[in-house]
Amino acid sequence: MKKRLYLELENCIGCRSCLAACTQCGGHEERNRNYVYDVNPLVNRQTMPLMCLHCENPACARSCPAQAIQIHETGAVLSALVEKCIGCQNCTIACPYGIPKFDHEQNLMYKCDLCIDRTKDGISPMCASVCPSNTLQWLTDEEIDNKKKQFNLDNGKWVTSMPYLEGETNVKVNLPGILQGITKLF
Amino acid sequence: MQRDKFFKEIENLNHPNEKLIKTHCSYCGMQCGMNLRVNTQTNKIIGVEPRYDWPVTVGKMCPKGVTAYQQTNHKDRLLKPLIRDDASLKGTAEGFREASWDEAYDLIAKKFKELQTEYGKDSLSVFSGVSMTNEKCYLTGKFARVALGTRYIDYNGRFCMSSAAGGFLRSFGVDRGSTLPWTDIHETDCLFIAGSNTAECHPTSMFRIWNVQERGGYIIVVDPRETPIARRADLHLDLQPGTDLALANGIVNQLIEMGYIDEEFINKHTNGFEETNELVKDFTPEYTSMLTGVAPEKIIRAAEIYGKAPNAVVMFARGVEQQHKGVDNVSAYTNMALVTGKIGRPKAGVATFTGQGNGQGGREHGQKSDLLPGYRKITNPKHVEEVCSVWGITPEEMPQPGVSAYEMIELMEQKTIRGLYLLCSNPAVSAPNQNFVRKAFKALDFMVCSDFYLSESAEFADVILPAVTWSEDEGTVTNIEGRIIKINKAQEPVGESKPDWQIQVELAERLGRGKYFSHLKTARDVADEFRLATKGGYADYYGATWDKIDKQDGVFWPCKDEKDEGTPHMFLDKKFYHPDGKAKICALPYRPPAEEPCEKYPLRLTTGRVVYHYLSGNQTRRIPFLHDMCPEPYVEIHPDTALTYNMEHEERVRLFTRRGEAIYKVKLTEAIRKDTVFVPYHFGHEDSINLLTIAALDPISRMPEFKACAAQLEKVELKKVQ
Ligand code: SF4
Ligand code: SF4
Ligand code: SF4
Repeated sequence: MKKRLYLELENCIGCRSCLAACTQCGGHEERNRNYVYDVNPLVNRQTMPLMCLHCENPACARSCPAQAIQIHETGAVLSALVEKCIGCQNCTIACPYGIPKFDHEQNLMYKCDLCIDRTKDGISPMCASVCPSNTLQWLTDEEIDNKKKQFNLDNGKWVTSMPYLEGETNVKVNLPGILQGITKLF
Repeated sequence: MQRDKFFKEIENLNHPNEKLIKTHCSYCGMQCGMNLRVNTQTNKIIGVEPRYDWPVTVGKMCPKGVTAYQQTNHKDRLLKPLIRDDASLKGTAEGFREASWDEAYDLIAKKFKELQTEYGKDSLSVFSGVSMTNEKCYLTGKFARVALGTRYIDYNGRFCMSSAAGGFLRSFGVDRGSTLPWTDIHETDCLFIAGSNTAECHPTSMFRIWNVQERGGYIIVVDPRETPIARRADLHLDLQPGTDLALANGIVNQLIEMGYIDEEFINKHTNGFEETNELVKDFTPEYTSMLTGVAPEKIIRAAEIYGKAPNAVVMFARGVEQQHKGVDNVSAYTNMALVTGKIGRPKAGVATFTGQGNGQGGREHGQKSDLLPGYRKITNPKHVEEVCSVWGITPEEMPQPGVSAYEMIELMEQKTIRGLYLLCSNPAVSAPNQNFVRKAFKALDFMVCSDFYLSESAEFADVILPAVTWSEDEGTVTNIEGRIIKINKAQEPVGESKPDWQIQVELAERLGRGKYFSHLKTARDVADEFRLATKGGYADYYGATWDKIDKQDGVFWPCKDEKDEGTPHMFLDKKFYHPDGKAKICALPYRPPAEEPCEKYPLRLTTGRVVYHYLSGNQTRRIPFLHDMCPEPYVEIHPDTALTYNMEHEERVRLFTRRGEAIYKVKLTEAIRKDTVFVPYHFGHEDSINLLTIAALDPISRMPEFKACAAQLEKVELKKVQ
């Protein structure tokens, strides 16, 4: 069954295990392609990951003059093909979330490929495998639907992709604040 | 077994020319399951793959776990024994030369014999640790008593878990760190978590902890800092460091006041309620608030939530234990479970977050100054006899109890102890009052250190023996839950390094004590003798064979024989381990921290960990990813406090106490009390916060008060820094 990366931002504890895990993915040359931000470091310890959302109509790929950014049949927006990438950095500017990274030495773009060597066979990506807080999860559409039901939609914090994001995405996101809709046990 | 809703069938990714070795992380008590990726052509460890089928952590790891494999073939590994002939260089990394094992063993045997001939058996000491297998911990205890014949052996659990041990022994008559398996945690209705920065120190507990809130349950966190877990908690009790005992008494006061106690449970299964009731009467919300700095409403609310919860778990960690009343704090928080009867059933109980990988198992089997395998007492003649029969010595030959870790260091400084065999520990970073500790190590006539990197403590040694990492040997460890699990070997030892059990067997032979050790040729041989030595003790591992551990996904002790499947839940029959079968509710008068703030030292200094580093940092500071994430220590200060000192974010400032000083970068954050500053303790030499900490010891556990002392800040001139 098709699974997706699902983000529950409320859970993040800032451990950056997702970054460490990303360096361990085959073909990643020990460089992580994801980000974790301190939301307000002088005030509190809130953090959140910033991941490629694998847009259905990705701005990075559209902006690429060399067709170096391919979209896998699973929907994963791949890292630039080394032989095609001309190092123009259009993609890094075009992406609304600032995901593609640039290797100035090799003059090449590189980005999250959703651990394609794993996810093409349905194996959880490295970051979602290790994330200790379940901020990053690898779920079926049915499980994601259940999440939607579980968290009260009225508080406006549930976001699958629209209207908060630029367009439909393969990765589903759930903003901080979801717990406000939970009924306490006692 | 114990597969819950978080468990998913996920296949592992298998790369060509690789095999996966199932094992666990080398670091904390979570002991996350992991697979080590081994190249089948070079037979070297080259990476990590999640272990989705491990029921406790289902593939999850913190950044330390993800990068743990990088320790094995690290460029800093010690490949050969090192000898330093020039003792004047002690305390530096200079002057070591490579030597053969033969030369190193000969020198050690000669020096040990000389010292013991001249100054007596007890002039030697063993200082060990619990980041190693049960088999090694067991053999280290035997090595000290049988090969060296010294009374002086103790271990780094005195800086870690000993207060939890002392508290549980007093309250329950048994010291198993968790009364329930971790797979219960997310199913409870209220978690009361005191002095645990869980998100950073035991991160892979977090998916279960958050799930309590997702289900509509409550999380209450007690911490002077707004840690990541406190930030999302339903209630954050932001107490002053070192005031836990007052808070716990205050909550018990309210539990009684509001009628949340379980009288039937108290009458049938406990002693001590009356005295405790009498004592906590004074701890009204207002009085407790005055002592702790926590608002009275919050104290009342905490008691109300915990009291109402159908099931609840009280959890704590070093924040409450590393105090000079750590044992009292543990028993006082445990009182909450005992007066409400929320213990001895699934989803309810008490747990401490075990710090080191084998913090539980390593303290049970005879590395502690007064303990023998199976949690037996060296002062109990029957216990001594039982162990002697396994070891083949007479009770007369068994040394007397020794003293605790820090007290051994004091005896070094006084020259009562003249020789030291240090393994699996780095007290030149981790012990309190470092200026004194380093002086004591320098005063030693002869010191041997076994490690796989040249640690800050190894810099004081005359001989350094290259040990293996966890991935080059096999054996068992006992995780945070009390579950005995198996560490597997993934690679042959690097260079000439050897496992510590083998080093001890070979050293014993050099010391003429081979007949007690030479039969131990493999880790499994040690395991078999170890299980036998625990048989009949209350930490009975006899039935926990490696096969059973493999088949059952671990075995919870006690596990007495082949048929026994182990004991995931403690006290289900409401029988506690005191002779009358009852638990003890303890009446504990409040004591403030040993050193209270004053005019000269107006701030409260507390110490702790960051997610990227483990203990003294000897391992994690060498891992590039972890180093990059946290390369140096810092002092966390509230912006309002910084303002009164005119200090800015990232400015370098001098922090000092009556014992020492250090220069740290300021990290401003509102997520800390205004009267408190925090420094992580993973750093060595002049960066070590333990230059400043106080060696005020708990009267029972001999735990130093790392978590609270009085300090002052000062701006530094730029030129002084350079
Ligand atoms: S691994 Fe998970 S909890 Fe840790 S920083 Fe990444 S998203 Fe946050
Ligand atoms: S999916 Fe893979 S490539 Fe993308 S951020 Fe996660 S670990 Fe990195
Ligand atoms: S350090 Fe602890 S939490 Fe992190 S991976 Fe290792 S065992 Fe798990």
